[in-house]
Amino acid sequence: MFADFNATRVILGVLQAFLLVLFAPLITGIMKKVKARTQKRVGASIFQPYYDIIKLIKKDETVSEQSSWVFRLNPWINFVAITTATLFVPVVMAYSPFGIAGDILLILGLYGLARFFLILAGLDVSSVFGGLGSSREMMMSSIVEPAIFIMVLSVAIVYGGTDVSTIVNSAAQSPLLIPTTIFAAISLFIIILAETGRLPFDNPATHLELTMIHEAMVLEYSGKSLALIEWSKSIKQITLLALLINIFVPFGISSDVSALTLGLGLISFVIKAVLFGILIAFLETRVAKWRLFRIPDLIAIAIASSLIGTTIFYIG
Amino acid sequence: MNSENQNNLTVKILDQFQSKISEILPCNSNEIHILLNDNNSISDICTFIHSNLDARLVMMVCSDERRIGKKFVLRYIFERKNEDIFLIVTADIQENGSFPSIASQISSAYLYEREIRDMFGLLPKGNPDVRPLVLHEHWDNQIHPLRKDFDLNNKVPLNTENDYQFLTVEGNEVTQIPVGPVHAGIIEPGHFRFSTMGEIIINLETKLFYTHKGIEKLAEKMKIEDAVLLSERIAGDESVANSMAFCQAVEKISELKIPKRAEQIRVVCAELERTYNHLGTLAGISTDAGFAFGASRLNILKEKMMQLNEKIAGSRILFGVNIIGGVRSDISDEQKNTILNTIGEVSYDFQQVLEMLRQKSSFVDRLKNTGTIQRKDASDLATVGITARCVGIDIDTRKDHPYSFYPFLNVNKFKTPYKQIQHEVELQKRDGDALARFDLRVEEISDSVLLIHETLDDLRADSLSNHKVIENLRPYRHALGYCESHRGQTLHWVMMGENNSIYRYKVRTASFCNWPTIEQAVLNDIVADFPLVNKSLDLSYSGNDL
Repeated sequence: MFADFNATRVILGVLQAFLLVLFAPLITGIMKKVKARTQKRVGASIFQPYYDIIKLIKKDETVSEQSSWVFRLNPWINFVAITTATLFVPVVMAYSPFGIAGDILLILGLYGLARFFLILAGLDVSSVFGGLGSSREMMMSSIVEPAIFIMVLSVAIVYGGTDVSTIVNSAAQSPLLIPTTIFAAISLFIIILAETGRLPFDNPATHLELTMIHEAMVLEYSGKSLALIEWSKSIKQITLLALLINIFVPFGISSDVSALTLGLGLISFVIKAVLFGILIAFLETRVAKWRLFRIPDLIAIAIASSLIGTTIFYIG
Repeated sequence: MNSENQNNLTVKILDQFQSKISEILPCNSNEIHILLNDNNSISDICTFIHSNLDARLVMMVCSDERRIGKKFVLRYIFERKNEDIFLIVTADIQENGSFPSIASQISSAYLYEREIRDMFGLLPKGNPDVRPLVLHEHWDNQIHPLRKDFDLNNKVPLNTENDYQFLTVEGNEVTQIPVGPVHAGIIEPGHFRFSTMGEIIINLETKLFYTHKGIEKLAEKMKIEDAVLLSERIAGDESVANSMAFCQAVEKISELKIPKRAEQIRVVCAELERTYNHLGTLAGISTDAGFAFGASRLNILKEKMMQLNEKIAGSRILFGVNIIGGVRSDISDEQKNTILNTIGEVSYDFQQVLEMLRQKSSFVDRLKNTGTIQRKDASDLATVGITARCVGIDIDTRKDHPYSFYPFLNVNKFKTPYKQIQHEVELQKRDGDALARFDLRVEEISDSVLLIHETLDDLRADSLSNHKVIENLRPYRHALGYCESHRGQTLHWVMMGENNSIYRYKVRTASFCNWPTIEQAVLNDIVADFPLVNKSLDLSYSGNDL
């Protein structure tokens, strides 16, 4: 492994992570645009999330006197944790040079850290809605996280390890349709909806505090902090999409360091990411938000799906 | 037949309370005024009327009649079930006096009694709730604005010492969630105090009247023509219903009829109002269930109806339709065709949207068994409108007290006894949940479309208004005007003063009756479902706060 660790690859690795961070708000913008069009609205420009971030950075912040350092530090911890996680995810090339530092479990760990601080920050401001959001998020994450681990393990037994580069490399060389990975893909797709607060789990467009999950926790943020929170949310979404794309539909990904294959890899990734974004946006227009206490049912489907995949792997 | 029934009722009441009643006066064709000797018998007579004569308490009106040689006069207005009769128990109350509370016998009286205490300073003896209702804790509780000696231009200093006591729910794991009065989104103010165990709501207390505008006091300074405009502005989305109820009260006082064509135009506008508001509420239900696609489809239809309103009345929310004695503008043949075409298009699209919504299991699942109201709660609280009809209480002012052009229309679809029984069985089957309210709104939209068709097909050639109405108003006569708005029964009680002024104007919209039901409807639901329950009940803050 150490033989592969050369300067060009490190730079490329950093570049592809950088690409995710930059590209993230655009996917959010495209999804919003698709949703608006399906609702027969014109909708804001697809670059609106960028304008929002720029606007928020320029604005002053209001911080509750009741809050502690947790509240003020949380946006940074979130942003850093989620941005760090992008380094370990192959995007354009089927390889991440930082694989020696951590595998897919580290990504989940970083997300766990981010979530932990988000929940604390929700409680920290001692507003009722923050507490409401935090307790709901705890309920969700306590069932989503097992679902993620089971999904990861079922992928790991197929592709031989939890190292992301290994998984993506062997996925790129395997035939596309293995029953186990199909079930794992279904599982990951449901998990992405839950993790990014999409319908039917959470309504990202609602103004009703009483129904919110993610939004309720960040209700007290304003200015730069809010910009960071919004941006981190977009980055997390695209990182998860990148995992879904490169583990389950990796065709087109570049396996060496030549300009042509990297270019192809980039184009195919962008197309696939936009397509998945549109798919999620369409799904959101076709479904109402589920009852809060029915959400575990849906996550149970994700868990069951991974387990079926695993079983099939051993039987088949 | 009506007068025969009235006589029967009179005899029944006199049999029981001969010595306590000074007079029984029939008035305005369907009102029976029962004047009491003294106020000790209020409780007995009201309870008798409520339980033995099967009547609901629909409104309590107090008026300060000291200037015309009386005292404070308290009127308890009851409505006989399925019969076009209002029984009005009238009692005189001393200044700074008290009157016996009937809230423990008739629950729906408790809000009216608190309102009267705030506005007139008369004490309901025995009402368990001593907190202010309309005038919040910052108002000086010695000042009672509806008394005649309170001038409208008075500046009342803020009283910052008092505190409002919410009911406390205690116990392990009980959390209080205060919501409002300022809400996210563009809605009106109201405070909700939830007590929850985890997600489950175990108690909800509402505190309203943040948008109290002093409508009733303002009207007393106004010319009667201007008061029509005021009544339209009680709640913007009920403008036709409110102004219609007000005009009908005034027209009753004048004892004159208005032209048939004016009545027909009023009915068309009232039904247009019902349609666009029901469409808006259905869209709101869809939004709050997190189904934006359905909401946007329905909002498009609402917008089409509002644009139609603008073409007909020159106002998207139908302001300026009613004037005393008739209507302001005509519906031309061309406009008639526009109405018929638009509602045809809208009904067709509406069916398509509905088909989609009904197949959406995630949407229907959100509504089913959410915000269920028990029948007993609804009848105790004298709930009106869709909410009441969804728990099997058969009330609809258009049918119960046929007014305006409704007697000539086929409002009651169940003419044969068999159909009527079938209808009643259907009523009993309704669950009283958000889904039932959704379905009933859908049904009412198609009923409204039929009513509009029926009225427009038969548009009479006639003048638009009867100008004699205003000349024929005698001081200190009073009458009750009523209308079925899209939220339910709307009552306006008007008493004329000298020179065509208004001596007392009392408004009770459907929202005032229905707000308390939300406290019952959310019990055992979860906090996250509250916005949906709230929207499915479609309550107005402005119409309640006056």
